[in-house]
Amino acid sequence: MPMDKKKVKLRLENISQSYVVNNEVRDAVSNVSIDVYDNEFLVILGPGHCGKSVLLNIIGGLEKPVEGNKYIDGVKFTGSDKRIGMVFQRLALMPWKTVMGNVEFGPRLAGVDKATRRKIAQKYIDLVGLKGFEKAYPHQLSGGMKQRVGIARAYANSPEILLMDEPFGQLDAQTRIVMEEEIQRIWQQEKRTIIFVTNNIEEAVYLGDRIILLSKCPARVKQIYEINLPRPRNTMDPEFLRIRREVSENTDLAL
Amino acid sequence: MSRVKTAAMSSSERKAYYLNRLYMILPVISVLLLLLLWTTASLNSDFPSPVETWNRLIELFERPIKNKTIIGHTLASLTRVFLALAFNWTFGIAFGILIGWNKKCRALFTPLFNAFRAVPPLAWIPLITMWFGIGEFPKALTVIIGSIAAVVVNTQAGLSNVQQIYLDVGTMFNANVRQKLFQIAIPSALDAIFAGVRTSTSAAWMVVLAAEMLGAKSGVGFLITRGMDSMDMPLVLMSMAVIGIVGAMLAVVTQFAERLICPWTRKRSN
Ligand SMILES: Nc1ncnc2c1ncn2[C@@H]1O[C@H](COP(=O)(O)OP(=O)(O)O)[C@@H](O)[C@H]1O
Ligand SMILES: [Mg+2]
Repeated sequence: MPMDKKKVKLRLENISQSYVVNNEVRDAVSNVSIDVYDNEFLVILGPGHCGKSVLLNIIGGLEKPVEGNKYIDGVKFTGSDKRIGMVFQRLALMPWKTVMGNVEFGPRLAGVDKATRRKIAQKYIDLVGLKGFEKAYPHQLSGGMKQRVGIARAYANSPEILLMDEPFGQLDAQTRIVMEEEIQRIWQQEKRTIIFVTNNIEEAVYLGDRIILLSKCPARVKQIYEINLPRPRNTMDPEFLRIRREVSENTDLAL
Repeated sequence: MSRVKTAAMSSSERKAYYLNRLYMILPVISVLLLLLLWTTASLNSDFPSPVETWNRLIELFERPIKNKTIIGHTLASLTRVFLALAFNWTFGIAFGILIGWNKKCRALFTPLFNAFRAVPPLAWIPLITMWFGIGEFPKALTVIIGSIAAVVVNTQAGLSNVQQIYLDVGTMFNANVRQKLFQIAIPSALDAIFAGVRTSTSAAWMVVLAAEMLGAKSGVGFLITRGMDSMDMPLVLMSMAVIGIVGAMLAVVTQFAERLICPWTRKRSN
């Protein structure tokens, strides 16, 4: 798709965040401006503790930035917005709710009647491949399955933009690969604008339409890569390896 | 390699099997030991033996005290306990939620509440007697005072320790404050609230007996006083045994209720 035809879904304008720690101002995010296109899979890549979660929390409205503006479809908004959903870094499933209870939670809070929200939830439970586990509690599920629930829960609230904060960071390598394929399949089946945060270069190149590379703390946009490889990508493909090396050489090491 | 592994597994399995057996037998052994010690102690002394104590129980069925057998007296005590607990589980939990969720209320009430908690329930008895005389209400009130703190403290701790990430989930779903309290904070605190329910139950069971010993016409605590006044040691011992058994049963029942109401906490118990 040529660049000029892409519609900007989310625009971040000069976002900065800083905290006062021990009477000292510390910047976490510094002057970040990003355009996110409609239905693109955008990966935000950066070293650990560089401010990725802070940036994502600002987009989601869990934190207020000290500076900067956010726009959806060209209209400014502040705080949280129901057009934005989040898959959390740490597993944030409600342990007291079943898989169904967790997935239908968003529509339930929005006052959707039971029959309708069950139907919506079931659709996304099926989509993430958890059919048959509706009545299970989170502690009965494996790490990968829990993340599937987290993805279904975010989808069930019908957001237009999905934020994912290192969703697979805690999974073992094998499960991680499976889940990377899965998130790609889910996204291709149910297109949304996804902003996916990771510190894993291979994951970034495997998943991203574009990669926004952040510097070490405070986070600044260091480089933007467009990955035009066809999906599903082959991690052994020479072009894949070349991009991976290029990104890798440009990445700051975590302190 | 794999042979070594299976051999190791089966030997550890065998060990687990014997351990399981052992864990089933140990409680029985301790009860038998107690009975043995008790019997030995009662030989050549006035101290009633287990058999005499048992006979006293049967005798109570034949000649009820104040028209009540042991069942009637136990029910009388349990009624007071559950009247008090019904109050505590309603207002104690509500108050715990209030001071757990609202920092201003916590700051307002915590000093008073801590002082209240430090006064033992029995110290209230003179005041309660002066105000309300001796009837069912003052007894229930003593039990309320003696067991409400456990409910409030646990509920408050559960509510003030709700993990931020659960509330963030609510924020992402545009939950309002009310929804965050009722759909996120309170459910996530349910296991802490249940700890309060369990502790308050055992506290109430202890306080009711003490309250009954200070002027009552029914209840297991009354039986103990009666036994003491009439030098009826078998009656005292029988009442003590009943107290212990009923107390243990209450603990089992509340634990069972917790598993029923909070099935997700089962994970921790196995
Ligand atoms: N509420 C806060 N108060 C103070 N410092 C914070 C706060 N939130 C984040 N930080 C700091 O900002 C930096 C970036 O954090 P974060 O965005 O979580 O990193 P990551 O890129 O690993 O997600 C860290 O150094 C962290 O200590
Ligand atoms: Mg992070």
